Amino acid sequence: MGKNRSGEMPTTGKSQKLKIISSVWLGKAMMALTRLLGRGGTTLPGRAALRLYPGLLPYLAGHLRHGSLLVTGTNGKTTTAALLTGILRKAGYRCIYNQSGSNMAWGVTSSLIGASSWGGKLPGDLAVMEVDEGAFPALVKSLHPRGMVLTNIFSDQLDRYGEIDAIQKAIGKGLEAAGEGSFQVINADDPSLAGIEGGSRGERWYFGLELELAPERSENEAGHSQPCPRCRQKLHYDQRFLAHLGRYRCPACGFKRPAPDVKLVGCSTRRGATALELLVRGEPLRTLFPLIGTYNLYNALAAATAAAAMGVPAAEIKTGLESAAPSFGRMERLALKGRSVLMALVKNAAGANAVLPTVQEQQPEIHLLAAINDKIADGTDVSWLWDVDFERLAAVAERIKGLTVTGLRVWDLAVRLKYAGLAQETIRVETNFKQAFLDALERTPPGATLFVMPNYTAMLALRRLLNDMGARQPYWEGA
Amino acid sequence: MRDSPTGRELKIARINIYHLYPEHLNLNGDRGNILALCERARWHGLAVNLVPVQPGETIDFGACDLLFMGGGGDAEQNMAAAELKKRRRDMQQAIEAGMVILATGGSYQLFGHYYTTLRGERMPGLELMDLYTEAGGKRLTGNIVVSCGLWDPPRTLVGFENHAGRTCLGKGVQPLGRVLHGHGNNGSDKTEGAVYRHAIGSYMHGPLLPKNPWLTDYLLAKALAYRGQTFTFKELDQSFEEQAHQTAVRLAGSRLHRWHARRA
Ligand SMILES: [Zn+2]
Repeated sequence: MGKNRSGEMPTTGKSQKLKIISSVWLGKAMMALTRLLGRGGTTLPGRAALRLYPGLLPYLAGHLRHGSLLVTGTNGKTTTAALLTGILRKAGYRCIYNQSGSNMAWGVTSSLIGASSWGGKLPGDLAVMEVDEGAFPALVKSLHPRGMVLTNIFSDQLDRYGEIDAIQKAIGKGLEAAGEGSFQVINADDPSLAGIEGGSRGERWYFGLELELAPERSENEAGHSQPCPRCRQKLHYDQRFLAHLGRYRCPACGFKRPAPDVKLVGCSTRRGATALELLVRGEPLRTLFPLIGTYNLYNALAAATAAAAMGVPAAEIKTGLESAAPSFGRMERLALKGRSVLMALVKNAAGANAVLPTVQEQQPEIHLLAAINDKIADGTDVSWLWDVDFERLAAVAERIKGLTVTGLRVWDLAVRLKYAGLAQETIRVETNFKQAFLDALERTPPGATLFVMPNYTAMLALRRLLNDMGARQPYWEGA
Repeated sequence: MRDSPTGRELKIARINIYHLYPEHLNLNGDRGNILALCERARWHGLAVNLVPVQPGETIDFGACDLLFMGGGGDAEQNMAAAELKKRRRDMQQAIEAGMVILATGGSYQLFGHYYTTLRGERMPGLELMDLYTEAGGKRLTGNIVVSCGLWDPPRTLVGFENHAGRTCLGKGVQPLGRVLHGHGNNGSDKTEGAVYRHAIGSYMHGPLLPKNPWLTDYLLAKALAYRGQTFTFKELDQSFEEQAHQTAVRLAGSRLHRWHARRA
């Protein structure tokens, strides 16, 4: 390992050195400027710096003694990367992490520049980076990561034909570009990932659920199926855990779910936390994990498996998971006016379907606010609302004591809820965003929880509102 | 619903809705169209028998009153083409007899003579409608509003379109609507979709039916008429649907929104 990990690392002659330093300075200056202008621009500085010196990324990463870990997949990258960073830090690594949420090549560069000294040295020995599936192959080539973590492929941006195929190809290309001695952490329960060939040079670690979990059955399951990645026939599921994640096999060609190296063999939810029972290559690990929801089980497993592949002992994985905090924007619990506000970002159908079981679990009453915008950052097409299993809410309608909807596409949401089987008169439509939140909060009895499901720009607006109202953030670590 | 028909049940108007390859042709929340058909039928007091058809299964065109096909990815669309090619003649007879069809996205293209890919490959269609499609470079995307002449006076239909194909209509079909905002069949001749007998093809998703309840009722009425069943539709409260419809009209009309959509 060390500097020679990176084959593309430049020999640093005098003019080279100058270029490196000046591109780092440029990036840092631009970052300061965008911050001064009050805009959280995370791609521009990286873009400018790379233009000045295209070799900056391998140069910076080349100084990381333990290399880098890339986390990719369509859902759960942020939480997985945050959990993994937490575990590795507990285990003594000086871990850098691209927390900004900008996971394209430029954003990754920006975050490395932000972390580096003015002389172009990174103050750590390992980087955990959440990267976009599209940027994955290029980043593998320039960073030569030590490990790659593949979370899942959900077909959520359905406005592109053949998208799953494209993502599979991108991930396959990335795996093939990986070097000798690298490792791959793969979700065994996701046929679209387990079916990816290539990258046979690295060591593979599979993770998956081995539970007799109340299966997430729903009428919309049909919409979640993906064909066999080898022969495109219909897969048979012995058990489904979440959407297309489960124990599957292909009756036509024999392709089946690989046996996981790290498996979850037990889990129970209590008071907003989850008690987990893992087997890490046979070694038992019990922990109390502060996040709820099936999708977070996968995030925890992915992080634990990556840590195990890095050689972190089970006891340290346990303490790392226990101290983990919900990562930025995914599921946050806040305290406001004597109520608890539980906010879960839903960007797409897969995300919403992952969150709804947690809404259903709310006891004894359910108070819900959903907000859907259709700005560019959200995607202007809201058709995905029809792929969300809102029928789950109709199934617990008698426990729903408050249901308020808002956002630029509030009527689309209202129509969807109506066709899901919720009585029209129980759906409160409030087009004014702030008013909707205040009403929903008011209608939630003190001491109870208001569950909030916004999509991206609605979440940003809500976060501002919550901040102005002085909401406390008891769970957050930093910001 | 499949109980043996007693004398009393026979009097209940019922329709058989066939949903083709629901697991394969389901881009863009297409199942919303099925939900709209089934829920509205129920609210009207119509009995519905929903039949999901899987690849390899035989479609009973003798029993089908209303057939829905959503859009799929390339592989799924090719599968559907191969399956339906075997039943082309039966399908054509059913269409001529007045069976109701709604086909969206890729399935709409499939109903034409052919589809030419960007590389120039010519994929034969089912030739059930007089139209053809050629791949274009830039995808035609965004909110769309059309004026639809299935009613007199015409009513608006709203949806969202996202397609690379440019479809041109022949003389044998009528356009489903005239484009007020958006791109439509090909982005140039202001037509959207196609109608032949009671078969409708459209690029509009959104999905199409929930936000255009009058089109849902139109399809249900034509399906009933196809079997000679008389039925009086109820006046339903559709204020939510109309608000969603109006929002879509407003969004499509707003310049700022169109500017954003172009930059997307
Ligand atoms: Zn197979």
